[in-house]
Amino acid sequence: MAVVAADRAAGERRSARRGGRAGGSGPRLRRADHLAGWAFVSPAVLLIGVFGLVPVVWSLLLSFQQTDLTSPGTWTGAANYQKMVHDPVFWQAARQTLVYCVLFVPITMLLAIPIAVLLNQKVRGMTFYRMAVYVPLVTSTVATGVIFSWLLNPQFGLVNAALGKVGLPQQGFFQSTGEALPAVVMMTVWGWLGFAVIIYLSALQNVPRELMEAAALDGCGRVRAFWKVELPLLAPASSFLLVWLTINALQLFDEVYVTTKGGPLHASTVLVYYLYQQAFVDFDGGYAAAIGSALFVVILAVTMVQLWLSRRASHYEGN
Amino acid sequence: MAMAATLALGAVAACSGGGGSGSSHGATIFWHGYTGPEAKEIAALGQEWNQAHPNQKVNVTFAGSNDDALKKTLGAFVSGKTPGVAYEFGSSITTLAKRPQTQDLTSLVKGAPDFKWDDFFPAARQAATTPDGKIYGVPALVDNLALVYNKKLFDAAGLSYPTASWTWTDFQNAARKLTDAGKKQYGWAYVNDGTEDTVWRFLALLWQAGGDLLTPDGKKAAFDSPAGLSAMQLLHDMSVTDHSVYLDGGDQQYLNLFNSGKIGMLWTGPWDLGSITKDVSYGVQILPGKVTHATIAGPDVYMMFNKSDRATAWAFLQWLTSPEVHVRFSIATGDLPLRQSETQLPAYQQFLKKYPGDKVFVDNLAKNATKSRPNIPEYSKISQALGLAVQAVLLGKAQPQAALDQARDQVNSIMAGA
Amino acid sequence: MADTALARSRGHARTTERERPPRRRRRPSPLHLILIPLSAVMLAPLIWMVLLSISTEAETRRFPPGLPSGVHWQNYLDAWHQGPFGHWLLNSALVSVSCVIGNLVLCSLAGYAFARIPFLGNRVLFVVVLATLMVPFQIVMLPTLIVMQHLHLTDTLGALIAPNLATPFGVFLMRQFFTTVPKELEEAARIDGAGRLRTLASVLLPLMGPTLATLSVLTFLNVWNDFLWPLIAVQSPGNMTIQLGLQNFQGQHFTNWPVLMAGTVTSQIPVLVLFVLAQRFFVRSIASSGLK
Repeated sequence: MAVVAADRAAGERRSARRGGRAGGSGPRLRRADHLAGWAFVSPAVLLIGVFGLVPVVWSLLLSFQQTDLTSPGTWTGAANYQKMVHDPVFWQAARQTLVYCVLFVPITMLLAIPIAVLLNQKVRGMTFYRMAVYVPLVTSTVATGVIFSWLLNPQFGLVNAALGKVGLPQQGFFQSTGEALPAVVMMTVWGWLGFAVIIYLSALQNVPRELMEAAALDGCGRVRAFWKVELPLLAPASSFLLVWLTINALQLFDEVYVTTKGGPLHASTVLVYYLYQQAFVDFDGGYAAAIGSALFVVILAVTMVQLWLSRRASHYEGN
Repeated sequence: MAMAATLALGAVAACSGGGGSGSSHGATIFWHGYTGPEAKEIAALGQEWNQAHPNQKVNVTFAGSNDDALKKTLGAFVSGKTPGVAYEFGSSITTLAKRPQTQDLTSLVKGAPDFKWDDFFPAARQAATTPDGKIYGVPALVDNLALVYNKKLFDAAGLSYPTASWTWTDFQNAARKLTDAGKKQYGWAYVNDGTEDTVWRFLALLWQAGGDLLTPDGKKAAFDSPAGLSAMQLLHDMSVTDHSVYLDGGDQQYLNLFNSGKIGMLWTGPWDLGSITKDVSYGVQILPGKVTHATIAGPDVYMMFNKSDRATAWAFLQWLTSPEVHVRFSIATGDLPLRQSETQLPAYQQFLKKYPGDKVFVDNLAKNATKSRPNIPEYSKISQALGLAVQAVLLGKAQPQAALDQARDQVNSIMAGA
Repeated sequence: MADTALARSRGHARTTERERPPRRRRRPSPLHLILIPLSAVMLAPLIWMVLLSISTEAETRRFPPGLPSGVHWQNYLDAWHQGPFGHWLLNSALVSVSCVIGNLVLCSLAGYAFARIPFLGNRVLFVVVLATLMVPFQIVMLPTLIVMQHLHLTDTLGALIAPNLATPFGVFLMRQFFTTVPKELEEAARIDGAGRLRTLASVLLPLMGPTLATLSVLTFLNVWNDFLWPLIAVQSPGNMTIQLGLQNFQGQHFTNWPVLMAGTVTSQIPVLVLFVLAQRFFVRSIASSGLK
């Protein structure tokens, strides 16, 4: 209701402006904009606020308590944070989370672009091919974990069998301290690729065909047309993916839970897995909340930088 | 827009109502995670109870896998809709005992001589009792480990089958002889994911060697003893020197490999027997020994969370775990008997006939499953420290003594409250 | 006005599509050489799941696994009859579809405003929306349950719908894609006197078919596959979703793989169907013609 009213007001202002002195009513116009803006975002923001922000603030408060998460805790000040700073496993998990993120995000994005372009071609059976790429997205993480554990089984898995056939050394994968994390990267890239492709594909399909045809007429080859026309138009999708994949990568949990359980010897323990153990195995809820809060600050900072960079990049292109 | 959304929500909320807390419909909610034959049998028993007790009805409800029972229960505490009874892992007792919703059953048990608490197998009783002597659960399941072996592989290797007097040396030698790198065949399998699955098999070894996890006062680590070292050394020798152990990364393929004839011996419980395929001829024997033939039990419990329907919940649990009723549950599902007296009933012979492999496990309960994990809140952290040590030794990343020393330091600092 | 122009050009686009000479179809494109192996790699788990779902119980008790000896459809019937499968699917569908509708409406509005209206607090509010995703769910799970309890929503399907009715994902996605629509289009409509809401509904949204389809599919998928939240948020068997229901096939010590996989494959069919349906929106026509 409010939306409609505010909208109508904004529309009237616009008409007034057109009828009268063009551009002369800056402040009033902006007020209408503020109204319309707030009216448009408020339903979504209200819901997200209640179901998202309240629990987040709650958990930040928990980080200053000693609590088992279900009964009232006692305030302990910064004790949880002090413990965190001196916890070597926390730092190992933090380091591994970072390594995972730095591998996972670029690999996923770089693989997704060519696949999305490929799936945007006019080829028979394209519906099937697109479906195929989306399938891992649909598959439950548990099933994915089972099949990857099987494929990557050091003694009996298909991958080592194939490596053996071509004379390459056998690998330990999930059961090797050096390879567990890379194996998790491999599995998650496979699982998330469909997501990145679907985003890129919908961006590509928003690219006007005329633009590509015009580019082709101008004598650009297909490849150059892609670099000159399509790639820049993928920028918003790319910055979306960069932010989104980073937020998710830094909170990696499910895939570790269903394969390595953080091991062997903590080699694939990432922050959220460690936090989960603290919260639901050891019931040190306050400490888990402290780890969560630290992660929150890092993700927030990284996201702000990424958004700022992409805004600058788009300004640059716009000019 | 927001209004429309709220309306839609309200409508959905309204039409999906029902359910509700423990006794909203007069019936006591009984949460379980049983599937397959167990689910069928518990439902049938629930119905039988309700017909006989129209004033003390129980609503038998599947509440998701037992693996998630603790999370689900904690969620119920938060939302205020707690079940009258819920099936919980034995390891959850220390976590749940502290909550105000959890019912202390000590006085109920002590006040009901007919319930015959001492009739339950010792491992089952210990799992339901906290160190201060309070009882928080009624035994729901009691398992233990025994040696399950593939007769065909033993025959092929020219080995005689394991006996009840097997020593560690016999076991290690057999595992070595069953191993054939060319055929990718292993003597033994060990779950090496660093979880409690890794730890409890080590605890059995530790007890067999005459050692213990903690000092008698329960304040310090005691596993860094000669007994602990010999247990670690055995794991090291078999895994790193003999290469006779298949290290299962946690995806539990060990049983399928056993079925495929790739593994000669398992240390496992009765639950796996039903998954051994018909073409595999297997035998069951008690675990090999050093000082003793100790095994370890993994008991689960029914816990009560509602004061309001305490009477009904308690009456139902007494009935459900009475010898005559539980032996029927055992016959239908293959779960081991919970009570000594169940093995005296005529129906027990029917159980043995249906599940011949279970005999060793039942006998174990009376003889070899006498020690149990300490029911203390610190146990989960102790288990993690030990899990890392065992994993490091099995992978050849640490020598037995060094791994033990490191775990001892960690456990001591955990016990000191750090 | 913009509407009719659009409609016209849309018709035009269709004609050209139809009139295109069928030359392209004569020789299979070399791209198949890349697409086929790619599909095989991505389809592997589904194929594996289907194979398991038609095996006998004993056949799944082997490692390394072999092919099933025959097709045992019985597993699908067993899965269907072991519980109120249809009821679980219905609950999941009700929850997922509600969330899709909520996201389409609310996230379009919010995404548009965040992208195009420079209102006071725009950037701060946007970051706040994103920030709600930056604390791991494992930590906020129980606090969210407390919020639900205060709203008297625990153990209702409403508890599953409400938190996903408008998602930061949807807001972010829509915002990002609104920035790609040329400003000229919007301004042309505004000059015709249309308010923002009308401009949004009749000019901008029709241009965003692929994005709206993407939002729908991904929202549906997320809600459909959610497990942890339904596990603790609902309790009555009548409110179980399909992911909770599938737990009925996965015992503590014993999993009947063929039946579990038959159930899992069945539970994924609606999502796959949705992906196919969404493909129809992925045809580029509207967006391109609207920009002439």
